[in-house]
Amino acid sequence: MHRDEILPGTLYLLILKTLARSGEMHGYEIANSIQLISDDVLQVEEGSLYPALQRMLIKGWVTAKWGTTAGNRRARYYQLTAGGRKQLAAEVSQFERVIGAITRVIETA
Amino acid sequence: MPIEKSELLQGTLDMLILKIVELGPVYGYGISQRIRQISKEVLKVQQGSLYPALHRLEKRGWLAAEWGESDNGRQAKFYKLSAKGRKHLASEESNWHRLAGAVGHILQTAE
Amino acid sequence: MFWWKSLFRKRALEAQLDTELHFHIEKLMNDYIALEMTPEEARRKATLEFGGREQIKEELRDVHRVSFVETAIANLKSAFRFLRKSPSFSLTVILTLALGIGANSAVFSAIDAILFKPLPFPNGDQLMRLLQRQPKLKSPNTFVAPARLEEWNRMNSTFQAITGYYSEDDSETSGALPEKLTHALVAPRFLQVWGVAPALGRDFNLEEERFGGPEAVLISDGFWRRRFDGDPAAVGKQLHFGTYSYTIIGVMPASFLFPLRGVDLWSVSAPDAPYARSRESTWFNVIGRLKPGVSVAEAQANLATVQAQLGKAFPKTDADIAVGVQPLKEMTIGGARESLWLLFGSVSLLLLIACTNIVALLLARGTQRQHEMSVRFSLGASRRALILQLLTETFVMALIGAALGLVVASGASRVFRSLAGDLPRVEEIHLDWRIVLYSLVCAVLATLLCGLFPALRGTRTNISGSLAQASRTQVSGRHPLQWLLVGVQVALAVTLLAGAGLLLRSFQELGRVSPGFESSRVLTFHVSASWGETADMKGLTQKINRILDSLRALPGVEGTATSAGLPGVPVQFQTELNVKEGRAASDPKIIVESRFVSPGYFSTMHIPLLSGDLCREDPGNLQVLVNRSFASSYDAKSNWIGNHLQIPGNSFVGAGEIRGIVGDARESGMNREPSPTVYWCLTAPEPDPHYLMRTGTEPMAMAETVRQKIHELEPGRSVFEIIPLEEHLDAAFAEDRLRTVLLSFFAGTAVALACVGLYGTLSYTVNLRRREVGLRLALGALRGQILKQFLWQGLGVSLLGCAAGWGLAVASGRLLSGMLYGVTSSDVTTLSGVVLLVLVVAALASLVPAVRAARVEPMNVLRDE
Repeated sequence: MHRDEILPGTLYLLILKTLARSGEMHGYEIANSIQLISDDVLQVEEGSLYPALQRMLIKGWVTAKWGTTAGNRRARYYQLTAGGRKQLAAEVSQFERVIGAITRVIETA
Repeated sequence: MPIEKSELLQGTLDMLILKIVELGPVYGYGISQRIRQISKEVLKVQQGSLYPALHRLEKRGWLAAEWGESDNGRQAKFYKLSAKGRKHLASEESNWHRLAGAVGHILQTAE
Repeated sequence: MFWWKSLFRKRALEAQLDTELHFHIEKLMNDYIALEMTPEEARRKATLEFGGREQIKEELRDVHRVSFVETAIANLKSAFRFLRKSPSFSLTVILTLALGIGANSAVFSAIDAILFKPLPFPNGDQLMRLLQRQPKLKSPNTFVAPARLEEWNRMNSTFQAITGYYSEDDSETSGALPEKLTHALVAPRFLQVWGVAPALGRDFNLEEERFGGPEAVLISDGFWRRRFDGDPAAVGKQLHFGTYSYTIIGVMPASFLFPLRGVDLWSVSAPDAPYARSRESTWFNVIGRLKPGVSVAEAQANLATVQAQLGKAFPKTDADIAVGVQPLKEMTIGGARESLWLLFGSVSLLLLIACTNIVALLLARGTQRQHEMSVRFSLGASRRALILQLLTETFVMALIGAALGLVVASGASRVFRSLAGDLPRVEEIHLDWRIVLYSLVCAVLATLLCGLFPALRGTRTNISGSLAQASRTQVSGRHPLQWLLVGVQVALAVTLLAGAGLLLRSFQELGRVSPGFESSRVLTFHVSASWGETADMKGLTQKINRILDSLRALPGVEGTATSAGLPGVPVQFQTELNVKEGRAASDPKIIVESRFVSPGYFSTMHIPLLSGDLCREDPGNLQVLVNRSFASSYDAKSNWIGNHLQIPGNSFVGAGEIRGIVGDARESGMNREPSPTVYWCLTAPEPDPHYLMRTGTEPMAMAETVRQKIHELEPGRSVFEIIPLEEHLDAAFAEDRLRTVLLSFFAGTAVALACVGLYGTLSYTVNLRRREVGLRLALGALRGQILKQFLWQGLGVSLLGCAAGWGLAVASGRLLSGMLYGVTSSDVTTLSGVVLLVLVVAALASLVPAVRAARVEPMNVLRDE
């Protein structure tokens, strides 16, 4: 599978929520967590994860610092900022509106 | 971010269109009206996305098109669901439920 | 590949997009009007809300456009996959098309070069031939006197320049041995009319064009490379002809071959020379270049006016002269036009037949792919998409075939040049982009012709129903049209093969003919001389006899002679003769071949003396010999010897005394029975007769010796055209050989095509009747029976075709009878041989599908239900 198995446009949402839940994580852990919690339904590829994290860094929704993993390797750990928390709230509310509307259309049949 | 530019909406537009057409033959304007109605004005599909999507779906054989007379006497292009389209819609719907459910699940986890 | 269709579709599409989007905007407008806006406001708001209409339309166009390119690429990929999967099938189609398109391209290249392209000169359409006719003469078309040519050039108003040329042979003596060269003598303005400049050096200047001025020549590229090895320092060197010396002032380009192909040099014939003044001399072929924008009719009218003026000024010489102007190109190629178009018609017919065969093959294939088609239909492909895909497959094969055909065509142009050297402009035939384009067009046409019908047939929508249903409704699979075509092809093949066979047998018979003389180990050559020498016949005869005697004395030489014509080379000179002693009025006229030979002729050519004596050269008493046919045809006198024969009206040759009778020889060609012939014993009937020399060994080995010896005796003369007699005899039949080769080629092609057609049609039939065959096998029929049944179907049509072909061959044999020798046009052996060959080939072609039918597995076929 070379494509993400997620709803289109929900990448930031999922990353933000995961970081909100778990404090500090590096990229691999974020992707893993998404996959685990969704029972393998949702899968994020590295090819989209890291660019997204980069963009979030630029927008100031996360900060990053270098650390060592359990396997003694260097990795960048990401953490939500206050701005990031605000963004998460906005994304969640938007998502719920849209998903509700779409669901209404779907259920009409 | 305005809803029209929502990636989620764009990504599910095909499925929404097929769903509307499933209800019966309809022209482009009618599709965007219905989506607005049913979604209570939350989803406003732009013509710039609607018509390319319609033509793409027609090219791939999921929609069949027919020119007919509309209620105001003018010629309009009516779209309806093809057999292939029906099959595709079913698979898209089940996929949607799966993914949407999973995302929702993640969002419900405590922070 | 429906490019033109997509153009129409584009316009229709645009209209549809406009209507669809406009409808939406109107609806929006109505909504706003319902909200109590004014129409203008409503319209404005609606248009605004709708957004960029052009952008949307552009995106929609993209949706439709991109998919076209994608499908084209996908089609090409699947076409190549298809070709690889069935190599023998694809190869057959490709080779058939290569043959058909290749032959077509080859002939088209000839037609393009010879008929269409303008002459290879700047503004070649301006070049005209100017003709002079003197209706009162027996041969009215005469050459033009220099004085008149100059007046035409000066007085006309429609030509840029007029010039003329004639050619003669000259001996150039600056080398170790004299060399015969073809010398073109031209009027002034020669290069100006042609519009060609020398490749090296310069054109003639005014001084050189005047009588008494410096003698200058331009040499040809061929001569330049031969004599000077392409050295640029050749310009300025001198050439010597007897007492005259010419300075080389330039070299012409290699492509300039006028007036003759073998021309070596050009020099100017000064119009103001004393010997050029006579208005009655007939020297020049005249050509001219029209002024731009002038029509041929205008030029003709103007020239007629000019000649009329000359007629008034010089009534005695010019009043009866009529003039004509004709495009030079027309005069050059006119004769070839008919044969070329005929050839083109034949190869086009060939291509058509090849295409019908391919239709059969494709149809056969189509029935095998019905399963594949039905699967594609169920996956949602439209019929149009499938047809496009099938056409792409055909197109790819046609393209490859056309490419291969170009290889064939390039080889063919070489064949043209070697076999049909007499065709005008044959050296200009070569492949260029026009031929490639033509091949491409042929490929496209072939694709449509061959592929459309099978594609339509193969994608019938009721196929997605059950296979069994389709074949059940066609249990007969008889397709009379297709079998008729096969029969026609077999008949054609038989006819062409019979023709080729007859021609080949003619050659065989000719080889067996006894010519009546010995043609091997005889060397022929010419020694240069001029007509001026005939003023002193005695001296000329002595000189020639001296040459003959000296040569005969050489070791290795068994005999020498001269003859006006070469023995065995078809040239006829029939005359009516009078007998000096008188004949009864009731006796038949004596009409015989006359040949002029030296006394040594008969021993040199090994023609036996049957009675009487051989003739001798006796200046006071002309002697002749007659051949046996003469003696037996005109038997009024029991003994001809001693009588005198005379050519009426010929003062040059007096009455000849018959000295003896010699054996018959096929003097006028191997394919003619010897006719009554009279040999006039004249060593020098013309200044340079053919010299014949019988050698003990290989004739060409003596060539140098001959040249040296003659150079000793006559240093001013050159020896040329040193060729063994047998080569002349071979060349005499070159045209026949060309015909035979061409006919054999067409025959072979026809057989190959008939084979392919038979195979294809039978395969198709077998495929259609698979179910029936499977059923019969399941019900207990023997495989051998199935095999025999289909084999007989193929052979049956072939037999009918052969019968028709036999009849056709006999009927058209009349066309060939003039070219045949030793066989009649309805020769049974040849015809039966041909029919047998065709039947064997047909049997082989039918065998493969028949075997395939016999190998059908009933379970496989019946399971498809």
